[in-house]
Amino acid sequence: MPTEPIGLSRDLPAKRVMRTMVDGQDIAVWRSASGKIAAWANRCPHRGMRLSHGFVRGENLACLYHGWHYGAHGRCTYIPAHPELEPPATIMAQAFSVEERDGLIWVASDGTAEPRGLPGGLAPLRSLTFQTAKSEASEAFSSTPFEGNPPAVQSSDAGGIVLRVDVDSRTLNIAAALHEANQGETTAHLLVSDEATPAQKVSLSRWCEAVRRRAEAHVTTRGQENAA
Amino acid sequence: MSLVYAKNDWYAIAAADEMTLGQQRQTLLLGTPLTVTATDEGVVVRDDQGKTYPYQIKFDHVWTALGDAPRALFDIPEGDEPGRRCVPCGVVRVKCSPLRAVENFLDIAHFPFVHTDILGAEPHTEVEPYKVEIREEQDEVWATKVRFFQPKAAKSAGSGITTEYEYRVPAPTVAVLYKTCPPKPEAQDVIAIFVQPRGEEECDVWPWMALYDDESSFEELVQFQQEIFLQDRSILENQLPHRLPLDPKMEIPTRADMTSVAYRRWLKKRGALYGAMTEVA
Amino acid sequence: MSFTLYNWVLSGNCYKVRLLASLLDVAYETVAVDFHPGQQHKSEAMLALNPAGTLPVLVAGDLVLTETPAMLAWIAATFDPSGRWWPTNDARAMAEVMEWLAFSSALTATSGEARLKAVLDRPIDLPKALAGAERCFRQLEQHLVERRFGGGVWLVGDHPTIADIACFPYVALSPDGGLEHDAFPAIREWLYAIRGLPGFKTMPGIHELHELREGEAVHG
Repeated sequence: MPTEPIGLSRDLPAKRVMRTMVDGQDIAVWRSASGKIAAWANRCPHRGMRLSHGFVRGENLACLYHGWHYGAHGRCTYIPAHPELEPPATIMAQAFSVEERDGLIWVASDGTAEPRGLPGGLAPLRSLTFQTAKSEASEAFSSTPFEGNPPAVQSSDAGGIVLRVDVDSRTLNIAAALHEANQGETTAHLLVSDEATPAQKVSLSRWCEAVRRRAEAHVTTRGQENAA
Repeated sequence: MSLVYAKNDWYAIAAADEMTLGQQRQTLLLGTPLTVTATDEGVVVRDDQGKTYPYQIKFDHVWTALGDAPRALFDIPEGDEPGRRCVPCGVVRVKCSPLRAVENFLDIAHFPFVHTDILGAEPHTEVEPYKVEIREEQDEVWATKVRFFQPKAAKSAGSGITTEYEYRVPAPTVAVLYKTCPPKPEAQDVIAIFVQPRGEEECDVWPWMALYDDESSFEELVQFQQEIFLQDRSILENQLPHRLPLDPKMEIPTRADMTSVAYRRWLKKRGALYGAMTEVA
Repeated sequence: MSFTLYNWVLSGNCYKVRLLASLLDVAYETVAVDFHPGQQHKSEAMLALNPAGTLPVLVAGDLVLTETPAMLAWIAATFDPSGRWWPTNDARAMAEVMEWLAFSSALTATSGEARLKAVLDRPIDLPKALAGAERCFRQLEQHLVERRFGGGVWLVGDHPTIADIACFPYVALSPDGGLEHDAFPAIREWLYAIRGLPGFKTMPGIHELHELREGEAVHG
């Protein structure tokens, strides 16, 4: 389980930083001005500040606390308190392997990131976070009717689910890549056939809300049964 | 062990002016729930079991110690100087180690990034060499000859000036700074934080000032300090690990961090380890 | 025409007024009110001005306003000749802005309350406030996701409005109370867009977009 889908590429434009948890590790993922993506331990080696609060300057990510800059491979490139100093090569942010494929960002907590394959021809829809385990989110995607009809499951495994739904006499693919960032908290990263219109995306986005309500209601009901 | 050491220091646990007759405050100190009550015979500090603890009123706050042999409470003599206005600034809760809160207060290199356009601004980021020492006779950490360019150093500062600082750590969870006082160049403003450790990773922070400033209203002075401290709060809640690491391998200092290095060594030497971690996690 | 703002520097509601005034480049006076620790908003002098005992209070001549949405509407209507920040000439846009102004009160009552508990230990049920904030954030996220499908950035229309300003502070400040933004990518982009507006002003807990200062740094 070391490679996890942590976000949609669309949701991390140039010069942005985001935070994720993979396999219990706190990780900052960021994109440089030229578009290069990197994933680092979410901890500035100087004072432990979360780098996900930092800011991008060109090809560097700077820590919000003291502005220390880190560039290629996590190497410290600049310490503002000592502008003339060449930072020692030993000051490094710990880097993780990160890959982008099919509109998703994949991060490995160990070794090289190996994204799972998805059907082609998909465009980003949205990410949304469920207060449930992964299996409960997956179950709700396959069981929540869309415009009255249950979606047709194309494939399903521990990492996600691919569905087919009929919208306006068209058949669209929907892929949900699932990431349980914290136990009992799952983010679904959703992609949809790229011919979907904005209005169809709105319908599907609202259906995702219904999926989440169903999954979370299921968890709440079970919790109440256990309590009783 | 670290708790035994910590219990013999004094901590601010209430604002003196809020402890008027009949007033009560529930609080937590070093994991011990306390009730502070203002009675007609003075303040009573009591725990859940009914045990009472000593108190003293200093620097506009009520202080207590939980241990059997508390060390003497330090002094800030400037607080008694005529003409100064003493300004207690209320209390702010932070989910961080009390030691990280103190260390942040001793740091100037973060000014341009955290207190932007007030205490610092790019490109004026350089920290010039300064002097750090452990004053053995008082057993305190001191940093002197600290200089930094500031766009708006104090409520009373009109435009940018190079401010001179001295820093003093008289107890593990207290930091005092002395800085250039814009309207009275021969004197120094005094600003302190009294950190009340609720636990090893949560504290209540009581900022306090003794200033020469006849222009600003009391409310403006309090808000200036609150503005600065709340800018630090989101940093403090995002440092990992939450406890202050004393193992030099865990965090990398530079020359600008000499005060922090001395503070960490001083804590370690004293065994003041409440809120610290001594080994790589 | 200018105004006086009775202000507490850490209040998200006071900040809404400061932020809009800064974006519209309006000069005004402030009177510092010691909300904490002094509880001065409940003092006789302040209660005489505002019987509700809340902050902020805006005074302009004989006009006294005590509700933040009203202040934002008045400032925009008075100082924005373009009419874009408070679109009164477009019935639909005006109504949509009012929806979000009402929603901003729900943010204050949830995310704002959670922050008061976490920072000042006010007697507030923190889990309840955070659960309420989470519900508000989901609603906001859903709206912003849908706006984005049509290329929209702001809550209403193609220009920021007082709706964005009313909702921004207690969303941006929610980490102070314990609700992070990580699970809300559309909210994150919206916050970033507001922070990048010309004339944007910070408050403690909402830091400067240092990436925009690149030219001022000695080092890129």
